[in-house]
Amino acid sequence: MGKMSKEIKICINGKVIKREDIFKRKDIFHKEQAKLPFEKKIEILVTLQKIARNVKGKKGIVWKIE
Amino acid sequence: MEKTIKVINELKKKGLINDYAIGGGIGALFYIEPFLTYDLDIFVVLKEEPDKVIIDLSNIYNYLQSKGYKWKGEHILIEGVPVQFIVADELEEEGIKNAKKVRYKGIPTKVLSPEYLIAIFLRTGRKKDIEKVERFFEETKINKRKLRNILKKFNIKWVK
Repeated sequence: MGKMSKEIKICINGKVIKREDIFKRKDIFHKEQAKLPFEKKIEILVTLQKIARNVKGKKGIVWKIE
Repeated sequence: MEKTIKVINELKKKGLINDYAIGGGIGALFYIEPFLTYDLDIFVVLKEEPDKVIIDLSNIYNYLQSKGYKWKGEHILIEGVPVQFIVADELEEEGIKNAKKVRYKGIPTKVLSPEYLIAIFLRTGRKKDIEKVERFFEETKINKRKLRNILKKFNIKWVK
C-alpha cells in the first residue's frame, strides 16, 4: 500500500483535520460563494478589480459604481 | 451598477432596443463564485429589419453619447461600467426570450439562464470559457435536459 492511500491528518491551530476534509471544505466554500446575492458578488468583483489594478499598475480597470 | 442597468432599461423604453439580457462574465457571475472580469456584456435584440445587411447600432450609441457617456476602447462607459452591446444571433435571441428576470438593488433586469450561458461559452470555446462551464457544473444547478436540447438545436459540441 502506497503512502498516498493512507489517511493523512494535519494539526492546524490545535485542531486535527483530515487532509481530504480540507478539500471538502474548500468545495463547500466555493459553492457558498456561488450562492451569494448578485449585489454582494458585484462588490467582490470591484474588490478583485482593485487588487488586480494594484498588481498590474494603472492599466487595470475598476468600475466606478460606489 | 444599478444606474447602468437603469440606463439600459431606458434604451428599451425608448424603443432603441426590443429586448436585452446580461451575458458574458457578469451573467456567469450571477450563478457562480465571483471572479475577475471587466466588462458588462449586454446581448440585445433590435427591431426587425430583415432587408438590412449591416446592423447599425448608431442610434443606441448616439443616444448614450447625447447623455454624456463616453467610449473607452470597444466599450461605452455607462455610469462607471464599461458596457459592450452585442447584437444577438439566433442562439442568444432565444436565450434573451428565456432569460431569468432578476432585480439588482431593486432595478429590474434579465440575466441569461445558465444553460444558455453554457451553450454560448462552449460555442466560443476559449480556455477561460470552458473553465467557466466547469464551474457552472460544480457550483450551480443546471437543467441538463434543457442544456442538451440547446446544444443539439444549435449544433454545439462539448469536447472535454
